[in-house]
Amino acid sequence: MRAFVFTDAALTSKAGQFVWLELNVDDERNAAHRERLSLEALPTFYVLNPADESVVVRRVDGMSVGEMVAFLEEARVAAAGLAPSSPLEAALVKADRLNGEGRKAEAAAAYREALDQAPAGWPPYGRAVVALLFLHQTQGENARCLALAREARPRLSGAPQSVMAARSGLDCALGLPKDDPTRAAAIAEMEAATRKTLASPGTGAAADDVSSSHLSLVQARKDAGDAAGAKADAEAWASFLEAQAKAAATPEQRAVFDSHRLSAYLELKQPERAIPMLQESERDLPGDYNPPARLAVVYFETKQLDEALAASNRALPKVAGPRRIQVLQRRSDIFAARGDAAAAREALEQALAHAESLPAGQRSERQIQALKKRLETPAKPAS
Amino acid sequence: MNRFVPAALGLFLAAGAGAAPAELEKALPFIADDYAKALAEARAQKLPLFIEAWAPW
Repeated sequence: MRAFVFTDAALTSKAGQFVWLELNVDDERNAAHRERLSLEALPTFYVLNPADESVVVRRVDGMSVGEMVAFLEEARVAAAGLAPSSPLEAALVKADRLNGEGRKAEAAAAYREALDQAPAGWPPYGRAVVALLFLHQTQGENARCLALAREARPRLSGAPQSVMAARSGLDCALGLPKDDPTRAAAIAEMEAATRKTLASPGTGAAADDVSSSHLSLVQARKDAGDAAGAKADAEAWASFLEAQAKAAATPEQRAVFDSHRLSAYLELKQPERAIPMLQESERDLPGDYNPPARLAVVYFETKQLDEALAASNRALPKVAGPRRIQVLQRRSDIFAARGDAAAAREALEQALAHAESLPAGQRSERQIQALKKRLETPAKPAS
Repeated sequence: MNRFVPAALGLFLAAGAGAAPAELEKALPFIADDYAKALAEARAQKLPLFIEAWAPW
């Protein structure tokens, strides 16, 4: 999003319609805002009424340039506070407001009400479906999510949101209880739907959206016990990402794909394929902790422990906020693999101290408990 | 990159939320990490406040 969408000249006409704020939620200064905005996933976009700071509309997930333009236009109208012109519009405004307030069940009901009234060609249909799918997923409502994906797919055919709808359907089918007699058929149906969206390059979906669908296909094959199929899908995923990275116009755009590329290479059990790309990113983006942190992972996985520690040494001074915990955990793994139990424990203790020092909004009790548990058995590296 | 990445425990490897460097040339005049300033400007200009919540991973 940051490297592709907000750099697009198509958005310049919107510049004077909003005041624009970017919040790095890993920055301690933004912890209170993160908490107040009920942030659950990244990226998330909000439009606030500045008078009372109420959330007029919230959108989770990345968007293509076209989707962002449409989102901004809707948000501008919604923020103007004009009376809804129809029951359908009123239902959507209500849903957006409830969603912005984090009232998930009520928001889901309101989106459902809007979708039930939506005529063919209703412009906000796709983004309302995306919002409701996300609400179902975050509430563990896999059956409802699956039903919505099934319902929406025909209407979203060819639209950018068709990619997300099929993938969410697949993810939710995979999330059904293993003993659900409908699970296998649902997975097969949504896997086929997801493959169909990937074979339809004209949807205009964002590359990261497509990448996530590749990952879901890998998971579906693994769920089926089809190792060869999972490997083939992981290779297709890696090829897609490599092509996207090759087409990138700037180092920042290229580096956007690093995390997914590394995940694909790890799925393929070929982490060493990530080394050239990460070395390039570290060279091009010297202030970014991510390339050396990822190199530490790769070198650890390939048992090049001296290189792993050196990469960790380079990453650590650059990383703050919640991400520092993961860098320290990996550092502990590296020390443990080198047979230095004392240093491994010290790194974990540093991770725990850092986790406990984070302000509300960044602090995770679950993470703190997991670190305490790991400290009871510090010699065992995390998987 | 995204996959509805949980913000509290975001997956370090499987997803990131954006390129880290701040020197990207943006088409929009973003204010970085200063909520109070952005809110004051929005109130003064009577414009809605757009917020992008992101993280450098």
